[in-house]
Amino acid sequence: MIKTFGRGLLAGATLLASLGAAVAQDKVSVAAISGYFAQGFGVSIVDGLNKAKGDFGIDLKLVDTGNRALDYEEQFANLAKDGQYDLIFVMGWELVDALQKASAAYPNQRFVFIDGVLDSPNMIYANFAEEQGSFIAGAMAALIENKGSEIEKIGDGKAIGFVGGRDIPVIRNFLGGYEQGAKAAAPDIKVNSVFAGTFDDPAKGSELAMALYGQGTDIVYNVAGPTGEGVMQASAAADKYSIGVDVDMCGTAPGNVLGSMLKRGDVAVYTLIKDEVEGRKVTPGTRTFDLKSGGVEFKVCDDIAANIPADVTAKVEELRKGVLDGSIAITKAK
Amino acid sequence: MSTRMRAFAGQLIAVLFALALGSVVILLVDESPIRVFTTLLRGAFGDINRVAGTLLQTTPILISGIAACIALRGGMFNVGVEGQLFLGGFAAALVGFAFALPPGLHVLVALVAAILAGAAWIAIPAWFRVRFNTNEVVSTILSNYVAVLLTSYFTIFLFKRPGGWSETPPILSSAYLPELFSFSRLNWGLVIGLILAFAAAWYFRNTPGGYAVSMTGSAPKFAEYGGVDVKKRGFWVLIVSGAVGGLAGGVETLGVHHRFMEGFAPGFGFDGLIAALLANGSPIATIATALFFGALRSGSLLLETDTNASREIITVIQALIILSVSAQVLLRRRGDAQAGERRWKF
Repeated sequence: MIKTFGRGLLAGATLLASLGAAVAQDKVSVAAISGYFAQGFGVSIVDGLNKAKGDFGIDLKLVDTGNRALDYEEQFANLAKDGQYDLIFVMGWELVDALQKASAAYPNQRFVFIDGVLDSPNMIYANFAEEQGSFIAGAMAALIENKGSEIEKIGDGKAIGFVGGRDIPVIRNFLGGYEQGAKAAAPDIKVNSVFAGTFDDPAKGSELAMALYGQGTDIVYNVAGPTGEGVMQASAAADKYSIGVDVDMCGTAPGNVLGSMLKRGDVAVYTLIKDEVEGRKVTPGTRTFDLKSGGVEFKVCDDIAANIPADVTAKVEELRKGVLDGSIAITKAK
Repeated sequence: MSTRMRAFAGQLIAVLFALALGSVVILLVDESPIRVFTTLLRGAFGDINRVAGTLLQTTPILISGIAACIALRGGMFNVGVEGQLFLGGFAAALVGFAFALPPGLHVLVALVAAILAGAAWIAIPAWFRVRFNTNEVVSTILSNYVAVLLTSYFTIFLFKRPGGWSETPPILSSAYLPELFSFSRLNWGLVIGLILAFAAAWYFRNTPGGYAVSMTGSAPKFAEYGGVDVKKRGFWVLIVSGAVGGLAGGVETLGVHHRFMEGFAPGFGFDGLIAALLANGSPIATIATALFFGALRSGSLLLETDTNASREIITVIQALIILSVSAQVLLRRRGDAQAGERRWKF
């Protein structure tokens, strides 16, 4: 009885809140905290936040954590203590410890953890459907490999490769999508996968990628963080192809990067803020950003795009539509 | 005016000069210096939690500062406190998670491990100094890079917590350095730092050994004539300095983080050296200068959320302080330099 009453009250409150937002146009306040706003994925998050600020006139506060672990807890407390921010976006695994403490100390504060899922039930997790983006990457790679020497830098090995960081479920999910994409596009192409066992060793990444290229693999997908920098360099050294991940990596080895599987941090934060501003209050739980919502995408590098045969592009587009309308189901590995 | 008063006035002027220059920088980023400095004060001392936060930031600076003081007294620069702090932190964490010992004893053993790690790490440059007369400034600076990367290697490749970020498993609670209050992470590390400061000051003032060290530093020829084995004394001064540097790291892992993370406390060793320099190598004055830097660090965290100025403005002010302090030390020592004296004196 009390429970039902509570639920009714909650529904009422939600309704009121949405009415309030529609009527009073309460200004939404957002903060974002990370040590990586100046690089890669962090830049795309800042882009998304600034776009939201421009479009919706929200209050926006960016906090750079610096790199001293001693500071993190106070920084979270400083942001959460007055409850002045509707949403606080958090990016970076080294902040998890302090974040969980802050979330326990300020249970009403809505924290949005970007690119990962933790145990705490009162946070929002912005997650990416990596397997979908990887599916397209795999399809594209397999179709190009299948053309053989018709295409520059491609041999007759009929194999594409994958270098993962550590052998953990998230990375397995990338690999799973990649393999399924290759199989759906060109079943004859073999996928050779290796794991470096570490995310922090570019030299090892380079070594593994070189070994793959040596075995007749012509395209290698890098899902290995900093280890992957070595993979990109190896593709230039061997004059073969690599595929980047998370951010646009076309510039790391121009002419040798086929494309990148982008995780669109900007789309994720923008979408969440848009929901909040338009009265669809963001509630704790996992939000997955997929191919459909534009949260993941495969971006072909501009300098390569002209070399890709039209039938390859068409086939990839067909598969992409299949994923979008649900006619192609991708199995998740996590 | 006594020399001590003159030294104090000199440092004070250097700090005020740096704050004035810092205000110009703040004006350049379109923020009001008054608002910035009041926010800094509020962030550092605004309520009991913030005071505790400031003391928490002060602790590693204080202990590293004392490590630097000890070397400065002996006429040497231990610029390697940073590296000793990292190795000490790692060694303490290793003892903390790898062995199960009774509470109390566990903390002590872990702290001793930190001390030994710091001492062992500085033993290399100290030995080279005794044996080949290498400049300890260069060798200790270089040893920092090796120490930081070595602990990263240990953490990432040998002792990584399964499935975790680049960090070791958590230490057992029997190895925790107890917290002083329930509302803050402030722990016994601060008390250890204060005891060390007073012990060092007492040693230098009241014991023959302390006098020998001071003379080794300020007048090595005189000390040698008086029967002090200057080289050997210098070696052991560096070892003790390194041991305290290691302790600074141990206190951080056992008191605050309860594990070792790659790059866990960057810059504290250098902050400590600056605090010691600003204190003219006096352990007691280092308590005040460490508190000053701790307050700056702690206040800067609120600065970032409550004003438009970046937290990094503090780094700028700190750099300006270093510049003006070293300029004024150089001016003060100009007479000595002209007289052909090469060594720094404290």
